[in-house]
Amino acid sequence: MALLEIAEWLEATGIARWVQESQYGFAIVVAVHILGLTLSVGTLVWFDLRLLGMTMLRIPVSHLYRRLMPWTLTGFSVMFTSGAILLAAYATAAYGNLYFRIKVVALLLAGVNALVYHRVTERQIAGWDEARLPSMAARTAGLISIVVWAVVILAGRMMSYTMF
Amino acid sequence: MTEMFAWIQATEIAGTVRDSVLLTGALSATHLLGFTLVTGGAFVANLRLIGVLLTDHPVIDVARPAGRGVAVGVGISLATGLLLFAPRASAASANSIFQLKMLLLGLATAFHFTIHRSATRRVGVAPRVLRGVGATGFLLWTGVAMAGCAFILFE
Repeated sequence: MALLEIAEWLEATGIARWVQESQYGFAIVVAVHILGLTLSVGTLVWFDLRLLGMTMLRIPVSHLYRRLMPWTLTGFSVMFTSGAILLAAYATAAYGNLYFRIKVVALLLAGVNALVYHRVTERQIAGWDEARLPSMAARTAGLISIVVWAVVILAGRMMSYTMF
Repeated sequence: MTEMFAWIQATEIAGTVRDSVLLTGALSATHLLGFTLVTGGAFVANLRLIGVLLTDHPVIDVARPAGRGVAVGVGISLATGLLLFAPRASAASANSIFQLKMLLLGLATAFHFTIHRSATRRVGVAPRVLRGVGATGFLLWTGVAMAGCAFILFE
């Protein structure tokens, strides 16, 4: 099945029809999506800034990570669930939208960056956990995370202005 | 006031924003970026004050830097928000959800730069006072977020 056919199939599902046809369905899901985004990225950015050695310097990196991540992951769950519902409802419009493609690439980069951080960079954390300035690899991970999530937000908002 | 909003709407910059979907989208996206900084900073700072997050670290090490993030986010949101407001000043100012958002934003910003800032910079503030300040800040910024979402969707 081609991507466009999958998009058409998604738009015909029950949840997609509800978003398209109900009076407040779209509005409610978008509001939940934005709140999930502000919780997830809004808390993640503090971990990224700590990796960059720019804030909360007296708190060990691993400690900040453990305390913030439950909130960040809760936000991500809300954001991805509501985002999947919105995508299902307008899948064919998103399929041809440039900003949607930019957003997907940025999301993939965010995932790869997180994976490299946890699989490679974090293994050396004992050497820089309490340092004001973490290792170059950790700082790079923090910077990439901030940039790609900013791109996700910018591209996501641009979709609203170019899809409909 | 009505005349002032009509004048704002007739300015050149309002026309420039109104005539460009891409510029409006870019401003709206940057507005959301600033808003994310505000809500994230307010969330971290106020949950620390309430005693839910990072309680094993002093308030000054958590709430103070997070509070600076709120200030930066408010600056970005206000600058982009004014430019988004200009092309629809008359309609937006008459909208009750927008009025509520502005009221809550004014209260939250004033609270943040006075009582919240004072509580997070002093040493020896009673825990119950910190909890009260954190709870008030949390409720005010949550209200701004809710009203902001409602305005985007139901204007």
